[in-house]
Amino acid sequence: MSCAEARSHFWLLEYGELSFDEEERIETHLDRCADCRAARARTKELREGFDSLAVEPPASLLRDCRADLATRLEWEPPPPFAARQEGSEWWGQFLETLTSGWVLRPAGAVALLALGFMGARLAPSLGFLDFSGASEAGMSRVRDVQASSDGRIRIVVDETRQRTVTGAPGDRRIQTLLLNAARDPSDPGLREESLSLLDKRPFSREVRDMLVYALKNDDNAGVRMRAIEGLKEFAADPEVRSALSQALLGDANPGIRMRAIDLLAGDAAAAGAGGNFAPENMDRQIIGTLQQLMLREDNAYLRQRSQRILEAANASTEIY
Amino acid sequence: MAPEKAGLQVDEAALIRAAQRGDRDAFEQLVRVYDQSVLRLAMNLLRSPEDARDVYQEAFLRVYRNLGNFRFDCSFHTWLYRIVTNLCLDQIRKRKVRKEETTVVATGDGPLDRMDTVAEQRADTDPERNLFSGQLRRRIKDVLADLTPRERMVFELRHYQGLRLRRIGEILGTSEEAAKNCLFRATQKMRAALGDFL
Repeated sequence: MSCAEARSHFWLLEYGELSFDEEERIETHLDRCADCRAARARTKELREGFDSLAVEPPASLLRDCRADLATRLEWEPPPPFAARQEGSEWWGQFLETLTSGWVLRPAGAVALLALGFMGARLAPSLGFLDFSGASEAGMSRVRDVQASSDGRIRIVVDETRQRTVTGAPGDRRIQTLLLNAARDPSDPGLREESLSLLDKRPFSREVRDMLVYALKNDDNAGVRMRAIEGLKEFAADPEVRSALSQALLGDANPGIRMRAIDLLAGDAAAAGAGGNFAPENMDRQIIGTLQQLMLREDNAYLRQRSQRILEAANASTEIY
Repeated sequence: MAPEKAGLQVDEAALIRAAQRGDRDAFEQLVRVYDQSVLRLAMNLLRSPEDARDVYQEAFLRVYRNLGNFRFDCSFHTWLYRIVTNLCLDQIRKRKVRKEETTVVATGDGPLDRMDTVAEQRADTDPERNLFSGQLRRRIKDVLADLTPRERMVFELRHYQGLRLRRIGEILGTSEEAAKNCLFRATQKMRAALGDFL
């Protein structure tokens, strides 16, 4: 096999899409050819370059898409298959039989009464679950959360069947369900919306911890952004400041890093305008974080911002 | 394929049958199993939130309207992706989105180049290397834009969606071999265009 032929197949080799024989021929060539081994290594690097261009849709976009679809479906007639099925359902046929002649009506009434009685005896209790603790709420899955125009919160919960739970923002059940929904690993839209409703709640350690956790760990930038917005009220808390420092130095999204620097620097608006920022409010740890940022940050705007804050605090812009 | 969501095994066939009988909740659950990957595919191919939103909407409406005709001849995933990829191909062909797109977006803090939001090796502070990766990313973007819609689609499904060529062939209504040829063509074009990086 020639070098050119081997190199033309590196991508398919990367994807594992070559036959056993083809792969063997390339591997044999690679054993003998240092240049091709180097070229293979560069193909791997290039693959990582392609990986870095992957776009993750924002959670808000997913939420909007779902809302649009739900609205459109309201106007859609039932699918043709469902329409055909309606007349052939056993229940429909049963009712039709019962009501088709006046002679059968008394018998039908007795049958319905018996069904109702047996159903009531056999069906599980439909009383509202007691959501007094997170573990009980965790047995269900929150599918959707929404703020109503009257200031209440509407939560859709999946159990063996779906039900709607409504309550005031201060309701303990509502808060527990929102905290559960904010941890749902499968649905960033739900997590983001839940955090947005949580962050309007009065201060609570559980809420703060949830927001810190989301900022540090959520893989969706929209959810992390929502979490950092929620942490605005707690920006003086040492644990929160530590999470903000971590985000400033380590978050992949520059928008989140910008928000982190706003909150760490004190009055966000004042720091942004370069106006009446109070340097005496800056602790050593934050100065250290900003100095590290000067070394590591690629984004020119963030570096400039950090430099301005350090200069205002009479701190060096370098680490010695 | 039995999809898994949030650690729960979803009985897809039962959901489809219920949705076919007109159960709106079952249909909604089906949507939720697949909608994130549909949106991700549309977003990566079209690089436009508005276009991705249109594709999402149209794809699931088509599924809803035609679900009664779904006879389990192929997996639901394949059927859904066939609809989505057709819609995306139409969009790419019609609007030539990838050539028109800009990477700069408006934010509250002023214009921000979306390319800068891409995750990088942050420990790496070598400016020369950063410049190299920045140039490489821009070149990759141009290369992807120069692929034909079909090559772009096959590359997207293989590289970003991680689908095997056999499945890609099923989705695009062609053979595994044809999908492989298409991917090979796409990667040859990329090799030629990125030669100085290799």
